[in-house]
Amino acid sequence: MTERPAPAKAPVRAALMVASRQGTRAAKTAAGAFIGGAKGRLLPASIPLRHFGAAVVFHLLAWLALAVGAANGTDFGAGLGWPLAAVHLITLGVLGMSVLGAGAQLLPVASRQAATGAYLLAAIWWLYMPGVAVLALGMGLARPAWLAAGAAACTLALLLWGLLTARNLFGARGMPGVVAHGWAALAALLVMLAAALALVSVWLGWPAAPARHTVLALHRVMAPYGFIGLFSLGLSYVLVPMFVLADSPDDRYQLASLVLLVLALASAALAALGLAPAALMALGLLAGSIAVALHLWLMARTLRQGMRRFAGPSGTLVRLGWGGLVASLVLGWVLLLQWPLPDAGLWFGLCLVGIWQMSFLLGILQRIAPFLAAMHALPGRRAPTPSALSHDGALQLHRICHIGALVLLAGAIATSNHAVMFAAACVGTVGALAFCTFFGVLLWRLRRPAAASSSASHAGIR
Amino acid sequence: MSYSSQVGRTLDDEHRTNLALLEKVEHALTRLAYSDPAFTGLMSQFARAMEHDIERHFQFEEESLFPLMREAGDGEMADLMVEEHGVIREIACELLPLARIAAAGEMDEPQRVLLKQHALEMVERQVAHIQKETMALLPMLDDLLDQETDRELAFAYACDPALRPSR
Repeated sequence: MTERPAPAKAPVRAALMVASRQGTRAAKTAAGAFIGGAKGRLLPASIPLRHFGAAVVFHLLAWLALAVGAANGTDFGAGLGWPLAAVHLITLGVLGMSVLGAGAQLLPVASRQAATGAYLLAAIWWLYMPGVAVLALGMGLARPAWLAAGAAACTLALLLWGLLTARNLFGARGMPGVVAHGWAALAALLVMLAAALALVSVWLGWPAAPARHTVLALHRVMAPYGFIGLFSLGLSYVLVPMFVLADSPDDRYQLASLVLLVLALASAALAALGLAPAALMALGLLAGSIAVALHLWLMARTLRQGMRRFAGPSGTLVRLGWGGLVASLVLGWVLLLQWPLPDAGLWFGLCLVGIWQMSFLLGILQRIAPFLAAMHALPGRRAPTPSALSHDGALQLHRICHIGALVLLAGAIATSNHAVMFAAACVGTVGALAFCTFFGVLLWRLRRPAAASSSASHAGIR
Repeated sequence: MSYSSQVGRTLDDEHRTNLALLEKVEHALTRLAYSDPAFTGLMSQFARAMEHDIERHFQFEEESLFPLMREAGDGEMADLMVEEHGVIREIACELLPLARIAAAGEMDEPQRVLLKQHALEMVERQVAHIQKETMALLPMLDDLLDQETDRELAFAYACDPALRPSR
């Protein structure tokens, strides 16, 4: 009939336990348990969607903050100011907010537990969202008291979320790789919060505040590679196989990658605290590089064995994100070996936050938001499909602008030119507006009767 | 994906064949001219798949596999699959006449719009359905079917004229 894709060779693993009338038996794939059992394990739609919605808005605000900083001639690394606010609007506002929403919904579904704590999650959102806004304003306007108030709210919200997630992980059945990544991310969250609060005490000028460079180094490792990084890598073992129709990678490899990541983070943390910094940082980078190589090899194998291609804007952004992760490690070596690369720290930051984390997360978000929304759609003759809720044109525009903005940011670093930085921020803002359009259309279509939204959206808006 | 049951492997083969066809249809709808012989040939193949292969595949699952799933306590999953079969059949009813007209190369503009609309919906719903079956139903078969039942069902599926695939 037609040429057939090559059959995958990976063995099917017994990963999860499923309760049935015949007792408890194994569900063969994590993603299978996810897809098969998702509908009964959903939080109210308002919980994940309010987190994703806030992330989308913070994404827009981050580019606007950068534009204000560029217009005022502020540099990155110049202390409090709009560029620092832009970075935190991305890390706390976009990445943190998305991890809070996605983790609360995806972990219970993937680990076959009832999704509980909806009221607490809503309260956490109400604490975290203004906390991020006040913290960013405090940074942008250089008001340490505001910064401290925002940081306190964010810390409390993240601790409450951490408790809820820990309860989830404690009851998880199967998926040892993903669950272990979750525990490690929570441990990194605690260290990250301690370092962040110590930094706030530095900004407040407290006499007992620790040395700035020490806690800053700790914060810079634990936030991107620890909390956000470990959650991203762990959830990838569920989400990527689900997107392309493949087995989840072998748990042993997932755990091997995690052990190396934990070794890397522990070494980097001890190095930041001044314990044999050169040797431990080198050990950390080496362990981290091997761990990331293993993770990306597992992802590449999953994509190769998948029955579907990981195409479209989402696939491009996720691959770009993986490239950024590798580039950040290369630049880590450049910094460690003190090679003469001008503004190496800025290049490192661009690769880490801009290219890896933002690209990866926005790529994933544009897949899971319509997927979860479709499960919550109003009942009707034909429930809408994820793509019927999505807006392909907006996502295509966002992809172009996102990549364009990153290229311009690289140009701004290379030339130290504020006009180029301003242009990057403007292009990024257009991309963020396109992403807002995608999300707004999703919410609007979600509220339409099922048959109408399904047929109209397949008429050519894909 | 690999499955130890013969039934699982057979259904997986059909899923892969169908996914390849759906990918071609999706590509053709956005890239090829509707009068292109490659397009009309593909529509003919698509119509044949909807008319025979999908129904045959669904019928086998509904009559032979879902009752076993319900007995094993997986009725919720079986109900979800049946519900999705219903929706896909409904779309196939609307799409089949249009695919036949497209195969004959006789489409007018309103029909083209309708064809694209229904075909893209069919592609997405079938892919999502295959995704569920591949990741949740087929792995389950290794536990649900003992060796003898597996052999009998696989043989019946291959031999029954009503269940024989069109080629």
